[in-house]
Amino acid sequence: MRSASVPASAPARLITPLRALAAAVAGAVLLVPAQTATAAGPRATTAAAGTEVTVSPVDLDGPAVSTVKVTVKNAGPQRMRALRVAFAGPVGWAVQPSVRAVDGSLAAGATAAATFRIQVPEKRPGFVIRTFRATATYTGGDGEGTATGTRTERSGTPQPNLAAAYNNVAITDESATRAGDYDGEGNSFSAQRLAAVGLTPGASVEALGARLTWPDVPAGTKDNVASGGQAIALGGKGARLVFLGSGVTSAATGSATVHYTDGTSSTGAFGFPNWSFDPVTAHGATLVKSTDGRNRQDGYGNATVKYSVFAHAVPLDQEKTVEFVVLPANANIHLFAMAIAGP
Amino acid sequence: MPEIPAVSRRLLLGGTLATGASLAAGIGSAPSAAAAPTAAESAAAVGSAETPRRRPGQKSMINVPFTPYKTVRVGVIGLGNRGSGMTTGWSVVPGCVVTAVCDIRADRAKRTADQLVAKGKPRPAEFGGSADAYEEMLKRDDIDLVYIATPWEFHYEQGKAALLADKHVVVELPIATELRELWDLVDTSERTRKNLMLSENCNYGRNELAMLKAAHEGLFGDITNGHGGYLHDLRALLFSPTYYTDSWRRLWHTRSTASFYAMHGLAPIAAAMDINRGDRMTTLKATATAPKGLADYRERFVPRSHPSWNETYVNGDLVTCSIETAKGRTIRAEHDVSSPRPYSRINSIAGTRGIFEDYAGTSTTGGRIYVEPDHGGHSWRDFDTYRKEFDHWLWKKIGDDAANNGGHGGMDYVLQWRTVQTMRAGLVPDIDVYDSAAWCSPVPLSVMSLAAKGRPVAIPDFTRGGWVNLRSGLDSRMTEMPPVS
Repeated sequence: MRSASVPASAPARLITPLRALAAAVAGAVLLVPAQTATAAGPRATTAAAGTEVTVSPVDLDGPAVSTVKVTVKNAGPQRMRALRVAFAGPVGWAVQPSVRAVDGSLAAGATAAATFRIQVPEKRPGFVIRTFRATATYTGGDGEGTATGTRTERSGTPQPNLAAAYNNVAITDESATRAGDYDGEGNSFSAQRLAAVGLTPGASVEALGARLTWPDVPAGTKDNVASGGQAIALGGKGARLVFLGSGVTSAATGSATVHYTDGTSSTGAFGFPNWSFDPVTAHGATLVKSTDGRNRQDGYGNATVKYSVFAHAVPLDQEKTVEFVVLPANANIHLFAMAIAGP
Repeated sequence: MPEIPAVSRRLLLGGTLATGASLAAGIGSAPSAAAAPTAAESAAAVGSAETPRRRPGQKSMINVPFTPYKTVRVGVIGLGNRGSGMTTGWSVVPGCVVTAVCDIRADRAKRTADQLVAKGKPRPAEFGGSADAYEEMLKRDDIDLVYIATPWEFHYEQGKAALLADKHVVVELPIATELRELWDLVDTSERTRKNLMLSENCNYGRNELAMLKAAHEGLFGDITNGHGGYLHDLRALLFSPTYYTDSWRRLWHTRSTASFYAMHGLAPIAAAMDINRGDRMTTLKATATAPKGLADYRERFVPRSHPSWNETYVNGDLVTCSIETAKGRTIRAEHDVSSPRPYSRINSIAGTRGIFEDYAGTSTTGGRIYVEPDHGGHSWRDFDTYRKEFDHWLWKKIGDDAANNGGHGGMDYVLQWRTVQTMRAGLVPDIDVYDSAAWCSPVPLSVMSLAAKGRPVAIPDFTRGGWVNLRSGLDSRMTEMPPVS
């Protein structure tokens, strides 16, 4: 399968809400957690002598119905037949039609185009990545049978750091527990029990070769990120990106996408065990600290149960400088910190 | 903007590079789920969904804008509770003036005219005293828009008459109660080139519009289902000797088994699913509970001298319509005005990434939400944050005016303001005759399905194939009301 993409630096405006992109990527990376890279440069293609699929710029000034043109070039040696072009935008965006068939055939070097209409919503505030994807299926041509072209665009600015994205209260004082809601059921870590194992506000935490900083905020205030595809600025180079956190439910897995300053990106999957009842090595995570008990809405309790914080990492391209990270699209993952670990 | 005709084309490309225009023409639509009939659609259904042919010269009203009006002059037919309240609403919209009012009871016309004058508005012409008094009103040439708020049984004939009198029309729910009438209104609108719009104020509800915009953003993923309804304990009003003139609404419960009035819940869901704008409703199945609520209420609260004691109620208390769409979505539309319960229009939509439910939870918005990836832990969240983000420009712009001038939480005024704006600015109406017919079709179709013990009934395609094309509707772009000179 051939693929081509237009990166964020292209002047065209791309499509797909960040959450949709992140979720879509997450599914793929969960199956293949190895690092992947997206080619840079306008209308760049990874298929030097194969079928080229190009998605035109899309007017994203919604709400409106915009037109998109997908161009398919038969760069193979054989005549291309039975060509069908499928097109999709961000999840939930209506496309008309979803598939077009090309009658006849394409000679070697010839190009065909298909137009699609897409319903574009009003622009969202904040950092957004939109992705369009076109897939051509065919016989003949380069013999591959299928080729994909992708156009993405980002708008807005990533959050300056993880603290700016805090959206959840994980830690409360045992004398004032009602502000906590780490797990969606009103429970939280005890600040006193965390302090007893060294996790005080602003404390340094060593994990998986990285030095991370525990949230430096008072108990009872927002202190962690329920991961929802947020984009967080992060500079530097290294071998891996280390996350500090834990999960709620047993499905705290997902994929982080690391964007580099050269316009490329890599993705990696990771997961955390549930903060209390999963095996501490679930999803390949590493236990960092455990506390006894937790704070409930009615005060400290469950003293015989361990509540834990874990570390996990995704690989980085060591030759490249990180610009920002798109967190996994799974709010069951809660993050307290992240940092780059050296080679 | 290229659109696909009702029958998709497949044209030869020739295998060479061509310009965009010729390339676009060179590729046809492949058969897809969106265009193909569903299994339910293909299955034998009760009734007929045959599409009548257009007369020569008759054309679609899809995407047909209003000819701009400097001032919108409104004539009102029906001045009961609804009509009199909405008359005031029309009169305060910038660039709108009520020029005529009509009611079978002439005293109501005078009373309404007096009320307008008391508010500093011009005195409208008064018509009344007979069932056909509205015909005289329609002969006037100082009316651009007719608003109809009479009992349901008069909507069709009055709406059609208004179209034939070269007026645009806004009709209270439903625009008609029989299929042939719905088709006739579609055809009459197409022939007269005048718009007929269902006065579906709930489409302009703040939550409903935010839900629509969130759906278009993809917040809920690919939409798979939605639920709406009209669940309103009307028992006291139905037995009131004065609220519904001649008890017209209660009498419907003595002569028909149908989902009389589910549009308030159905229409916002249909809008969020882009019904007639890329999808369409294909089949309907109806079920009904036993008719017990009104008789029970009468037994406990209505004196034996009340005329209702001669009546037998036949319509089920809860009538539920299960609707399938061409894209495989389902809609559940409920109607119950005969049972004790708090008010609800249900107003819920769900998809592959989440769900919104209105009339639930403790939020000040009345709604709750759960969407991935924002949420986890199987617990509902307050809709407030999302309503702020997806708040429709109409509410941002005129929400305060709506609160001051309109009934039903302001959505009446938003509907009226937007209707006048589209007419004055020469825009395409948000709600057209096809939406109106489709949303009202469950009235007669539920009768047919209930008579056939709940078997599916084919829903007509009032657009005659035009539904396949994406187009804007209630999720409109912000525009200004033309200045009033």
